[in-house]
Amino acid sequence: MTFFTVVTRGLIRRPVRTGLTILGISVGIAAVVALVGISRGFSKSWETGMKARGTDVVVSNMGSSLVPKPFSASVRDRIAHLPHVDATCGILVDLIGIENTQMIMVSAREWGGFSWNNLKLISGRMPRDGAEPAVVLGRTAADVLKKKVGDKIQIETGELSVVGIVDGNAWVENGSVILSLPIFQEIAGNRDKINIIDIRVTQSTSAEDVELLCEEINRLVPEGRAVVAGEHISKSEAYRMVQAMSWGTSLLAVLVGVLGVMNTMLMTVFERTQEICVLLALGWRRGRIIRMVLWESALLGLLGGVAGVLIGAAGVKVLGMTPAIRGLLEPDLSINLLAISVAIAVAVGVVSGLYPAWRSSRLLPSRALLG
Amino acid sequence: MAVLPFGREPKDPKKILKPIAVEKKSKRGQGTSAISNRVLVPATLDTATAVPLPYIFEARGIAKKFDDGQVQALRGVNFDVSQGDFLAVTGPSGCGKTTLLQMLGALDRPTKGTLLYRGNSIPDLHDPSRYRALEIGFIFQAFHLLPTFTALENVEIPMFEGRLPHSERRDRAVALLESVGLGHRLNHFPAKLSGGERQRVAIARSLANSPSVLLADEPTGNLDSENAQVILELIIRIHREQKMTVVLVTHDMIIAQRASRTIQMKDGRIVSDRESANAGV
Repeated sequence: MTFFTVVTRGLIRRPVRTGLTILGISVGIAAVVALVGISRGFSKSWETGMKARGTDVVVSNMGSSLVPKPFSASVRDRIAHLPHVDATCGILVDLIGIENTQMIMVSAREWGGFSWNNLKLISGRMPRDGAEPAVVLGRTAADVLKKKVGDKIQIETGELSVVGIVDGNAWVENGSVILSLPIFQEIAGNRDKINIIDIRVTQSTSAEDVELLCEEINRLVPEGRAVVAGEHISKSEAYRMVQAMSWGTSLLAVLVGVLGVMNTMLMTVFERTQEICVLLALGWRRGRIIRMVLWESALLGLLGGVAGVLIGAAGVKVLGMTPAIRGLLEPDLSINLLAISVAIAVAVGVVSGLYPAWRSSRLLPSRALLG
Repeated sequence: MAVLPFGREPKDPKKILKPIAVEKKSKRGQGTSAISNRVLVPATLDTATAVPLPYIFEARGIAKKFDDGQVQALRGVNFDVSQGDFLAVTGPSGCGKTTLLQMLGALDRPTKGTLLYRGNSIPDLHDPSRYRALEIGFIFQAFHLLPTFTALENVEIPMFEGRLPHSERRDRAVALLESVGLGHRLNHFPAKLSGGERQRVAIARSLANSPSVLLADEPTGNLDSENAQVILELIIRIHREQKMTVVLVTHDMIIAQRASRTIQMKDGRIVSDRESANAGV
């Protein structure tokens, strides 16, 4: 028999209570995995979307909303001539409800801009020119909207034709409705407005030069802020708020888990007062008793953490299939996040076990002879 | 703080009782007193002394108060226990028997007085856990086996603090259980054992680390007369075969008569201390 046997027996003696405690922790950890995974996924999806479009620098004004604020399309002209700028593409993006879908990304791009180049046709064709009242749908967007080539699509007040289904090589691109910039500017009542400028730098540009370019743009263009592609979401106030809320909500759930484990371990210690006193009378050191309680508690945390990661990952996958989220973002279930979640659960276990362990170490061996 | 050199006389941790079929009937033998040649020598904390001390326990003026002095369980108790004694402590409920046992086992500290184990002050032991683990074997009235562990595992429990390497613990636990006639009950949980069997497991557990002293608190108190007899014979056998010092608390005078010496207590004091003429050991 090993010390680990002693620890596991402590948990097995009350299987229902142990199971419920593990479930309690796992719900907290599942919340961490789901909420943080989704918020991180949102940022990551944008980043990969940018890279797929061939964008190195993005100029936008994220402010505190999830989509950037519009600014004049003429800003693009002030940037296009700067050194290291290879190409620019003005874009107007919005998150809007289309027909029965609650929220979907609409990405209107300057006709002929490089941001069109990464789109690979799966079926149909691309719009003939920038004036054609037509859209191409990312493959996921087509699924979510239940549209195929030849269907009509109602975007706000405009009725447009679906002329093609495309693969954009990124979650965000595939989840977008893509159309020519002037068409959407007209529909959205944002004539001559854009809210993103994608910039492609020349091939030989170093990372330092890209940073310098961003600084130069920020000096020239007070309407927007230039950042290296992928960072513009993670630097936005809205994203930071969402992330803080995710962690806040998750940690609240984890706190409930802490109280659950502490309650269980205190019950365990109270229930086993006589047994612990007997162990002390038999010569067990107080340190060994403390270790026993802490290991039990940590094991509860570990089991809860593993269960929580599984529940969270499954939950996120299910959420990712719902129409509201599908196509908008790809949840980030990185090994890193999962490992952090399990580590949090183990830490929850250990922290929750500290007070019960201290209580157990204060028991008197003389009580073994009573009763 | 006294640091006790446990194992000063090297003990063989593997030493096991000879396996027996546990006797069902009492056979009162003709016992010989184990308390001859008792000479009082000054208590010493000199742990390096080569001269074996005559007493394993020496108590001088032991007093114990509980509840902020409202209850006085012991009132100036004096006695000595020699190596190899079989001492029965008797008396009515509340006379201080169990409190005395707690003091001897370092489970509690006296409020006043001097209590020595092999010349070292028990209340001042540097490591009372080690003392309890290696020098003392406890037998409780209510057995106190851990319910989620098998008989075998219960015997292994004290060995976590013992001298045996991990790989040998199981073998020793098996041998101990066989020696108390429970070789066929190794993997039974306490709930599946009779009262007598549970106490035999508890006795095997008390021997796990080859202690020098057995402290038994009413070991037959929860048993019927037949099982009580079996347990008593087993304790007598351990005392006889291993020359082990036994201090047994009981309110049953018939059991006390089997000891080589009986201390009778009343109201926290020793009222008589006599050797048994017809002791069965």
